[in-house]
Amino acid sequence: MSNAYLRFWGVRGSYSAPFESHLGVGGNTSCVEIRKDNHVLLCDAGTGIIPFGNEILKDPDVEELLIILTHYHWDHICGLPFFVPAFIPNYKISFFGPGDSGADIKSAVSAQMRAPFFPVGTETWLAKIKYMDPPKENEISYGPMGISFQGVHHPGTTFGYRIHVNGKDILYISDNECLFLNKAIRQKYAEFSKEEKELYDAMQQEEYDSELALIKDADILIHDAQYTPEDYRKKRGWGHSCYIDTVNTAIDAGVKELYLYHHDPNYDDDAMKVIEENALGIIEDRNSDLKCHIAKEGLIVEL
Amino acid sequence: MADNNQKTVIVVDDSPSLATLFERAIIDMDILLQIFNKTSEASEYLEDNKPDLIFMNIKMPGKDGLATLKELRNKPLHSDTPVVMISSKDYAQDRSIAKELGAIEFITKPMPIQVIKDALKTHLNF
Repeated sequence: MSNAYLRFWGVRGSYSAPFESHLGVGGNTSCVEIRKDNHVLLCDAGTGIIPFGNEILKDPDVEELLIILTHYHWDHICGLPFFVPAFIPNYKISFFGPGDSGADIKSAVSAQMRAPFFPVGTETWLAKIKYMDPPKENEISYGPMGISFQGVHHPGTTFGYRIHVNGKDILYISDNECLFLNKAIRQKYAEFSKEEKELYDAMQQEEYDSELALIKDADILIHDAQYTPEDYRKKRGWGHSCYIDTVNTAIDAGVKELYLYHHDPNYDDDAMKVIEENALGIIEDRNSDLKCHIAKEGLIVEL
Repeated sequence: MADNNQKTVIVVDDSPSLATLFERAIIDMDILLQIFNKTSEASEYLEDNKPDLIFMNIKMPGKDGLATLKELRNKPLHSDTPVVMISSKDYAQDRSIAKELGAIEFITKPMPIQVIKDALKTHLNF
């Protein structure tokens, strides 16, 4: 392996899916490792962080970790109670995520490890733990990595992250419902006056421009693609994207490589294969150069 | 400069079209309207000013609308300033947080101009 890579440790959304029919894609929930030399960044701490934690114990060069959390829904933090490095004194682990202060992050992370939900709390962690306060500008740095963040469309405050490392921009947007306003406007369009229609046409464009700006020119985009169109129709407004919208938005934004991510736990490997084929079909129909993949557990991408 | 009866309303939203919608909604109302397209600029203004009503969009560049509302509620000057949240998403979790933070109404985009007029009349007692 080279000195810079990213690795998918968990690719499911909502809850883990440890079923034989799903294991080609993987059953653990959100967690992606981005590594440059001895600097290891973890995006989210779903159940995927558990096998990562067991593996990193074998690497004597890594004692410092930064965990950036998109938000605090269970599927993004539920691996932490079983994250072994947190219970070992020589590790230094920093957390960053939404909140007014480091204390807010601590409170969210600790809440799931209180009785009666879990037998031991975060006070039993022996590693040096730091909960980072938000920076003045929306940027933090971590060794050779520059990290910026922005709010995305998901319930509560949820961040999408842009990580600049090894000359590449990686966008990690695990939970985001794209094109929501556009669809809402189209649904109500007939009810609007001529004046309102003009304004909402303009607002639709503003919203789309802002969605494109978020992911513009990404070298690698890891993005929510949880639903098929059939399921999205039933779950619109739940804060997740239909994969077709994710692919089209990535093409429009000039993204180079897209990893469809945060897969619905109900979709087995066969269903994921159909999603991949359809996504590649859209890209071909649009004559785009976008490279598109299904994010799979264990997949390593050299940077 | 506001006259004695004029009400001050601020809108915190980065959409120019939404700003235009508000400008059209306040025609015929004695309202001084101020638009902020960044929550940081709104927060700076609100350090020393207490408007009669605030409309705050949730998804904003930088600090979002819910975090900004929480910050406002921690300041004695704004513990009771009326705030209407605006969002393109009708998420139950957002509604619940907004309610806990004392937002008086939650409006989802796209809304007809009349919805804004009604909110202004209701909350400003016109």
